[in-house]
Amino acid sequence: MAYAYLFKYIIIGDTGVGKSCLLLQFTDKRFQPVHDLTIGVEFGARMITIDGKQIKLQIWDTAGQESFRSITRSYYRGAAGALLVYDITRRDTFNHLTTWLEDARQHSNSNMVIMLIGNKSDLESRREVKKEEGEAFAREHGLIFMETSAKTASNVEEAFINTAKEIYEKIQEGVFDINNEANGIKIGPQHAATNSTLSGGQGGQQAGGGCC
Amino acid sequence: MGGQSAGTQPSGVETIQKLCDRVASSTLLEDRRDAVRALKSLSKKYRMEVGSQAMEHLVRILQSDRSDSEILGYALDTLYNIICNEEEEEQDDGQRRQEDDVGVQFADKFIQDQENVTLLLSLLEEFDFHVRWPGVKLLTALLKCQCAQVQGIILISPMGVSRLMDLLADSREVIRNDGLLLLQQLTKGNAAIQKIVAFENAFERLLDIITEEGTSDGGIVVEDCLLLLLNLLKNNSSNQNFFKEGSFIQRMKQWFQLGEESGGGWSAQKVTNLHLMLQLVRVMVSPVNSPGATASCQKSMFQCGLLQQLCTILMATGVPADILTETINTVSEVIRGSQVNQDYFASVNAPSNPPRPAIVVLLMSMVNERQPFVLRCAVLYCFQCFLYKNHKGQAEIVSTLLPSTIDAQSISAGQLLCGGLFSADSLSNWCASVALAHALHDNSNQKEQLLRVQLATSLGKPPISLLQQCTNILSQGSKVQTRVGLLMLLCTWISNCPIAVTHFLHNQENVPFLTAQISENLGEDERLVQGLCALLLGICIYYNDNSLENYTKEKLKQLIEKRIGKENFVEKLGFITKHELYSRAAQKPQPTFSTPEHMLFDHEFTKLVKELEGVITKAVHKSSEEEKKEEEVKKTLEQHDSIVTQYKELIREQDAQITELKEQVSALVCQKEQMDNTITQQQSQIQQHKDQYNILKLKLGKDGAVSQADVQVNGVQLEELTALRLELEELRTQHTLLQTQLTEKDTLINSLKAEAAQSAERPAPASENTELLKEVESLRVQVQSQQDEISQLQSERQELQRRTQTVSGSSSDGESAKLRELEKRLTTQTTETHRLQEELRTHSESRTQLEKELAAANSTVVILQTEKTKLQQEVGESKKEQDDLLMLLADQDQKILFLKQKLKDLGEPIEDEDDLDARDQSDEEDDDEEEEDDE
Ligand SMILES: Nc1nc2c(ncn2[C@@H]2O[C@H](COP(=O)(O)OP(=O)(O)OP(=O)(O)O)[C@@H](O)[C@H]2O)c(=O)[nH]1
Ligand SMILES: [Mg+2]
Repeated sequence: MAYAYLFKYIIIGDTGVGKSCLLLQFTDKRFQPVHDLTIGVEFGARMITIDGKQIKLQIWDTAGQESFRSITRSYYRGAAGALLVYDITRRDTFNHLTTWLEDARQHSNSNMVIMLIGNKSDLESRREVKKEEGEAFAREHGLIFMETSAKTASNVEEAFINTAKEIYEKIQEGVFDINNEANGIKIGPQHAATNSTLSGGQGGQQAGGGCC
Repeated sequence: MGGQSAGTQPSGVETIQKLCDRVASSTLLEDRRDAVRALKSLSKKYRMEVGSQAMEHLVRILQSDRSDSEILGYALDTLYNIICNEEEEEQDDGQRRQEDDVGVQFADKFIQDQENVTLLLSLLEEFDFHVRWPGVKLLTALLKCQCAQVQGIILISPMGVSRLMDLLADSREVIRNDGLLLLQQLTKGNAAIQKIVAFENAFERLLDIITEEGTSDGGIVVEDCLLLLLNLLKNNSSNQNFFKEGSFIQRMKQWFQLGEESGGGWSAQKVTNLHLMLQLVRVMVSPVNSPGATASCQKSMFQCGLLQQLCTILMATGVPADILTETINTVSEVIRGSQVNQDYFASVNAPSNPPRPAIVVLLMSMVNERQPFVLRCAVLYCFQCFLYKNHKGQAEIVSTLLPSTIDAQSISAGQLLCGGLFSADSLSNWCASVALAHALHDNSNQKEQLLRVQLATSLGKPPISLLQQCTNILSQGSKVQTRVGLLMLLCTWISNCPIAVTHFLHNQENVPFLTAQISENLGEDERLVQGLCALLLGICIYYNDNSLENYTKEKLKQLIEKRIGKENFVEKLGFITKHELYSRAAQKPQPTFSTPEHMLFDHEFTKLVKELEGVITKAVHKSSEEEKKEEEVKKTLEQHDSIVTQYKELIREQDAQITELKEQVSALVCQKEQMDNTITQQQSQIQQHKDQYNILKLKLGKDGAVSQADVQVNGVQLEELTALRLELEELRTQHTLLQTQLTEKDTLINSLKAEAAQSAERPAPASENTELLKEVESLRVQVQSQQDEISQLQSERQELQRRTQTVSGSSSDGESAKLRELEKRLTTQTTETHRLQEELRTHSESRTQLEKELAAANSTVVILQTEKTKLQQEVGESKKEQDDLLMLLADQDQKILFLKQKLKDLGEPIEDEDDLDARDQSDEEDDDEEEEDDE
C-alpha cells in the first residue's frame, strides 16, 4: 500500500497499436485479442519496485482515434512519463510518430520521460518497420526505445519499469520538482517529510501568493 | 423588481443604445470604461435590453481591452448579469421559467461563436481578481444554461479543463469557492471531463480542502467539495478505480470520527455534509458497480477501519434519524456480499447493558411501529445485505429459531422475526417475511431447517409449525401487505426444495385455498395476491417430487385445468410482473418506497419471479406425455452434465497434474543447470586426472619397475576391477603358498643338514633330495606363470584404459549422476591402483628375494648332493666293512658252536647267555612305566 513515489504515465499513439493491451498486460497479465476501442481515457495502476523502493504507477491509457486528440492533450501536462507506441506491422503508425512527439513536447512539461515502443514484435512475419528504424528515431529525438509484444508480454514489464527508472534517476539528479504535483510525481506519505528541498525545473503555471 | 416591462421605460432603451455607441466608437479607454460601467449598472434592471443590444460590444471589449482589468471586469459582470438567472429570489414559477429562458437565450447567443468561450477561458488566466472572479462566475452561468455545449467547447480547447482546475489552487478563497461551483457544473454528466479533473489531482485537492475546513463541521465549502467529488465518482468506474488506487478510501475514514461530545451538535450543515460523505462511501461500493471493483473497495474499507467507524456511528446515541438511516444504508452496502465484512458486522455489539448484537438491536427497530419508515426500510436493507451470499449468516439466523438452540434468556433475531411475522402491524409482517426469506435464498439447507420450527400458540394447544402458522394467517384474510409478504416468504421457502413442497401440500387446506384464491374474480387490490397464489401453486407443481399421492404433478395440473383453467392460471400468474411497482423493485436491491403502502415487492423476490414465471407457464401447459419426454431429455441432459462434470473433473485433475509437472520441470531445469555445472567441473577434473595419470605413466615408464598398465586404470569398469582384485588376491595367495613352501624347503634343508651331520654313520634316504629338486622346479614354473599372469594383467589394463578413455570421452553429455559415480569410482580406483601398485612392488620385491633365496637353497642342495654322494660312498665302504665283520663274526660263531659242541661232548656244562639278557630287559621296561604314572 505505502509507496515511496507515485508516477503518472500516459500511453499515446495511433489507434490499434496496442496501447490498451500493453496496459492490460502490465496490470492484469492478460491479453485481449479483440480491439476494444478506447473511448476517452482509461485508468490503470500497479506497484513496482526500483532500487528497493516501492513505486506506484498510475497510468492513463488514451484513445488513439483522431477525434479524441483534444482530450488526450489534457493529460500531457500532469504526466511524468509517456509511452509513445507504434505498431511494427503498420508503417503509417511509425510515420505519425513525429506528430505525436510534437504534440507531446508542446503540451507536456519539458522533463517528461518518453519511451518509444514498437509493439507487436510477435508478428515478425508482418513487420514493416525495422527495429533499427525505431532505434534511430529514438536516438534522434532523445527517447528510450524498446520493442514489445502485448500478446506474449515480451518486454512489457521492462518498458514500464525502465521508464520509471529514468524518472527515478532524474529525481535523484534533482531535475524534477517533486513538490509540484503537476509534474506527475508525488512523494509517498512516509517520505514527504525528508524530501522537501529538492527543486528545479519549471515551477507551476498557476500563480501563487497575492491576495485580493 | 423585474416587474417592469420594457415598454414603460423608453429612456432605458435609448440610454443603452447611447452607451453601446460610446463603447463601440470611443477612442478613449476611460470613456469606454465609464460606458461599460454604466451598462453594468443597468444590466439587472434592463436585462433584456442590455443583453440584446450590448453583447457584441461587450465581447469586443473583452477582445481588445485585455490590458485594462477594470473594463474587463465591468464587461464580464455585465455579461454575467444578463446570462445568470438569480436563484435566491422568490419568484413564482411562471416568472422563473421566463427568466430562465432569457438566460438560456443570451447564453446561446454568447456561445454561438465558440471563440467567445475560448476567449473567456483565456481571461481566466488573468490573475487580477477583478477579471478572474467575474470570469469564473460568467463561465459558471454559461454552463448552467447550456451545459453540454459549453462542456464540449471547453473539452476541445487546449488545456481548457486543466486550467479551470488551477482555480482550486487560488489562494483567494472567493475564487477557490466559486471555482468549486464552476467545476461542479463543468463535471456534470461528462465522463471525459470528470476524468481529466481527476487526473489533475482533484481528489487530493478536494480532500485537502475538506480537511482544512474541518470535515463535517466545515461550512458550505465542504458541501461543495463533496458535491464535486460525487460528480467525479458517480457512475465513473475509471475514476472510482483511481480513487481506490490513490488510497483515498483511507482518507474517508477520518470523516466519520465524530467526537463523543461533538461540540457544535448537529447543525443542518453538518447533517448535509455527513449525508454527502455517506453517499460518497456508497458510490464506491454500490451494488451496480462491477462486483470486482465493489469487492476490492469493501476490502479496503474494512482494512482501513472505515467500516468499524461507521458501525460506531450506528451504535452511538444522539445521532439524527436521517444520518442514522443513511449510515445503516451505507453499512449495508459496505458489507453486502463480502464475507469478511459480514462476519465483522455479525460481531458488532451495541454498548447496552448487557451488550446486544447490533443485528438484534436493528431488528428491534425494524419491527417497531414507532420508528420512522425510512429507518425501518434501511434496517431491512442492512439485514438483506448481511445475508446476501452469506450461508454462514443465514444459518446463524435460522438457528435462533430452532428448538435446540433457542436461548430463552435473551432476545434473538429469530424471536424478533417471528414477532414481526405475527404482529398486528402489516409493515412489520411484511418486513419480517422478507427478512426471513433472505435467510433462505439459495440455501436449501436452511429451507429444510426452517421446516423444523415449531411455535407455541395458546395454552393447552399443541405447538404448530411455522409453515402451518404462515398459511393459517394467509387464509385468515389479513391486509394485502401482510399476505403479499407471507406469500413471498412461502414462495421463496418452498421453491427449489421438494421436501418443503411436500410439507406445504401435506396440509389439506392449502391447495383448495390457493385454487379458490386464483379462480375467484376479485377486485383490483387482490390481483397481486392472486398472482402470488398462482406462483405458489406453480412452484408446488414444478418442484414436486410426486411423493404425495393426492398431489402429484399430474393431479395438480388436472386440478388447475378443472378448477381454474390453464389460460386463466397463466394470466393470473402474469399479474405479478405487470404490477406497477414490480419493475421499480427489480431495478436495485435497496428497498425504497415512496409510501409505506407501496412496500410490496422485494428485489430478490423479483429475481425469483423472473426465474420461475416462464418455467411454470411451460410446466402447466405441458401434457403428461411431453412431460415424460422432457423428463427423459432432462435425464440425458443430466447424463451429459455428469459427463461434462467428469470431463471437467478430469481437466481439473490434469490441470493440477500439469501444474505439478510444470513445477517438477522447473525444478529439474534447475537441477540440470546445477548438474551441467558439475559436469563441466568434473570434466576439467577428469582432464586433470588424465594429465596426472599421463605424468605418472611417463614416470613409471622411465622407472620401468612396474608395468605401465597399472597407471592407466581410470574409468575401469567395476567388474573388471573386481576381477583384477581377485587375480591379485590369487597371486598373493600363491605368493604365500610359495613362501610357505619355501619355509618348508628351508626347514627341510635344515633338517637335511642336521641329518647330513649325523649321516656319517647312518645312511639318509636319497628320495628326499629328488623331491626337493622337483619342488624347486615347480616353484620356478609358478614364478613363470605369475609373470605370465602379470603381463596378461598388464595387457588387460591397457585394454581397460583404452575403454575408459572412450567412456570418459562420451560422458560429456551423460547424466551427471553417472559422472559423479564414475568420479567416485575413479578416485577409489586410483587409490586402489596405487595400493595395488604398492603391493605389486612389494610382491615383486619379495619374489626377487625368494628367487635369491631359492638360488641360495639350490646351491646348498648341490653342496648337499656332493656331500651326500660322499656320504653314500662312505656308507658303501662301511657296509663292506660291516659285511666283512659279519663274515668274521659268522666264522667265529661257527668256531664257538664247534668248540661248545666239543665241550658238551667232553661233558663240560655251559651257561646260556641269551636267556639272561632277555630277562634283564623286561625289568627295565616295568620301571619306566611306573615313573610315567607318577608324573
Ligand atoms: N499480435 C499482437 N496483437 C496485438 C498486440 N497488441 C495489441 N494487439 C492487437 O491489436 C488490436 C488493438 O489493440 P488495442 O490495445 O485495443 O489498441 P489501442 O492502441 O488501445 O487502440 P485505441 O484504443 O483505439 O487507441 C487488438 O486486436 C489487439 O489484440 C501484440 O503485441 N501482438
Ligand atoms: Mg485502447
